[in-house]
Amino acid sequence: MFCEKAVELIRELHRMSDGQLPAFNEDSIRQVLEEMKALYEQNQIPGVLLELIPTIKFRHCCLLRNQRCITAYLYDRLLRIRALRWEYGSVLPTTIRFHMCAEELEWFNQYKKSLATYMRSLGGEEGLDITQDMKPPKSLYIEVRCLKDHGEFEIDDGTVILLKKNSQHFLPRWKCEQLIRQGVLEHVIS
Amino acid sequence: MFVADIRKEFYDVVVNQRVALLVSSDIDALCACKILQALFHCDQVQYTLVPVTGWQDLGTAFLEHKEQYQYFVLINCGVNVDLLETLQPEEDSIFFICDTHRPVDVVNVYNDTQIKLLIKQDDDLGVPSYDDIFRDDEGEDEDADGGDSGNESDGSSEPSGKRRRFDEGALERRIERQRAKREWEARRREILFDYEQYEYHGTSAAMVMFELAWVMTKDTKDMLWWSIIGLTDQWVHDKITHMKYVTDIATLQRHVSRHNHRNEDEENSLSIDCMRISFEYDLRLALYQHWSLYESICNSCYTSCSFKLWSMNGQKKLQEFLADMGLPLKQVRQKFNSMDMSIKENLREVIEESANKFGMRDIRVQTFGVHFGFKNRFLASDVVHAAASLLENVEKDESATDNFIKALDCLSRSNIERLHLGIDLAKKKLKAIQQTVASCICTNLILSQGPFLYCHLLEGTPDVKLFSKPLALTLLCKYLLKAFVFSTRNKRCKVLPLIMAAPMDVEKGTVIVLGIPPESETSDKKNFFGRAFEKAAESTSSRTLHDHFDTSIIELKMEDRGKFLDALITLLS
Repeated sequence: MFCEKAVELIRELHRMSDGQLPAFNEDSIRQVLEEMKALYEQNQIPGVLLELIPTIKFRHCCLLRNQRCITAYLYDRLLRIRALRWEYGSVLPTTIRFHMCAEELEWFNQYKKSLATYMRSLGGEEGLDITQDMKPPKSLYIEVRCLKDHGEFEIDDGTVILLKKNSQHFLPRWKCEQLIRQGVLEHVIS
Repeated sequence: MFVADIRKEFYDVVVNQRVALLVSSDIDALCACKILQALFHCDQVQYTLVPVTGWQDLGTAFLEHKEQYQYFVLINCGVNVDLLETLQPEEDSIFFICDTHRPVDVVNVYNDTQIKLLIKQDDDLGVPSYDDIFRDDEGEDEDADGGDSGNESDGSSEPSGKRRRFDEGALERRIERQRAKREWEARRREILFDYEQYEYHGTSAAMVMFELAWVMTKDTKDMLWWSIIGLTDQWVHDKITHMKYVTDIATLQRHVSRHNHRNEDEENSLSIDCMRISFEYDLRLALYQHWSLYESICNSCYTSCSFKLWSMNGQKKLQEFLADMGLPLKQVRQKFNSMDMSIKENLREVIEESANKFGMRDIRVQTFGVHFGFKNRFLASDVVHAAASLLENVEKDESATDNFIKALDCLSRSNIERLHLGIDLAKKKLKAIQQTVASCICTNLILSQGPFLYCHLLEGTPDVKLFSKPLALTLLCKYLLKAFVFSTRNKRCKVLPLIMAAPMDVEKGTVIVLGIPPESETSDKKNFFGRAFEKAAESTSSRTLHDHFDTSIIELKMEDRGKFLDALITLLS
């Protein structure tokens, strides 16, 4: 059946519904593009035969459907990559970077640049980091507990803290958010 | 140096700094730590909390953090040895020590710059005066004095005669000075020996921290409850005398009435979910509200020893007791919460009356209870038992710091499930203690060695893993001694202290040895085993590890047990 590969792509993304980015399925896309090329060429028969018009229309619909599926796939991936910037910061973990194709990486860099330019334009001279504090914070400092040995960790005023397993620290919120996302620290609510 | 104004000299100093908190592993320290953490959260003082279980841990933690932190707060550790000598800190490190261990080491008392003691000076300390121990003029030069006295002496015609008289005079004075110095040193040794001979405990660290909070009017009911738990921990683990406990309860009672008075009103009564602390003159039965009354009576030290529940006679007496109160066995054996309301109403008075008839005059004790929500009612001793069981949990193979964190968590009101888990563990622990005591008494495992009683738990004993931890072993020891005193006919043995040994680490082949003072009504809880253990270990060169902050608890190699005991016997006879 036509368009099955394209729907596969959509299903693949749909399966990972929580915003994870699966590897860029270069193979499937190539196959879909080949299918589209084949359909297009089949449609390029010389002359117009009245009996063939439904077939031509059918092939055309398949082409359009494939096009829609691929653009949806690419667009959804871009949305996910954009969310990654907000989640992980400007440096992505290598595992995720392997899942992106070269063009997507390029797009990510451009997005980063635009976001940075925008952030710099806010808030006076130094700019404002709007990727911090996605939810309104209740306090400047939070208590965190170290879940694994992480070694030394430097905070803004230059002081270094030794993160040893099961030690508890009371640190500025913005420094801890990264580590909490990585699972090294745990926010203690008492 | 003692801190005179805890707010100005401690809190105001650290409030703008980053602090390292080194906290020992006992419930009082946990409570003090919680109070201090709450204060630090209010004022956004950045801190790092590191649990420590012994001197080695303390040393390691200090080494790891000394580069980054200038201010260290030590809770329930570090005051009874020369801290500067042990840790070798830099000139600018400052230590604030809030510790219940006494005697406070004299160097810590008289150091003006680096060590600040968060201890009240009138706290029954008896520190020797400065001049008795330290002498500034150590390097007295005898030759200089010889020259000096030369000027004072009378003139004499012959130079040689003059010199001879000078020499005699100078020699005499030198001998006199040396004799005085020797006398002073001997007196100093004696004073220090008397001062450091007995180990005991002072005011709870949690109470000191609560007072700090109160002075800053930042105290809350949570902090008050934690200070109550800290004090109750000292009482449950037999660290303070009954007099001191009652005095401290009175102090806390004033705070409790102040907090209660503030909120409760005819029109504005508090929501049921708010925390209410109330003074209770409650029964001395461990965990009875979370257990069945019968189990609680069987497994509480006081009742079990008074009835002698390890014997058949004792069991009969217990049945008589229950019959005397008119409590049907069926009711008494089911969960306390499911007992009939009619029975629960006057339970305390009924039990007190019957207990008096059976010779238990102090079955009720002054304590506090907390109450929040419809389901949650706890007495202070319940929480102490639960937290202690979590702190020394041997069921899963978790590290000491993991258990510390769990015990610390269970003290918060939002972690009730953890508290309930702790209560279950505590029930198991109390049952294990009861069974071990029963078997020790029945098999006469306690031997009199002359100046003390001795009991050794063999490796195959059930639940012996529980007793490789200091707090559990302390409870067992106390219980065992009390039971022994009740069960023996030998009058002399009743006033002996008890030393107990239990396997600590099977692979390394070590035992944990613990000594407690003799059991008596008016005991001042002063323990001389710390020094005794040290001396015995030295004289026999046994392989011991004096790692615990309480010097009366040590780790000893199994093979050296015999000679160590012999040395102790000779030492103490």
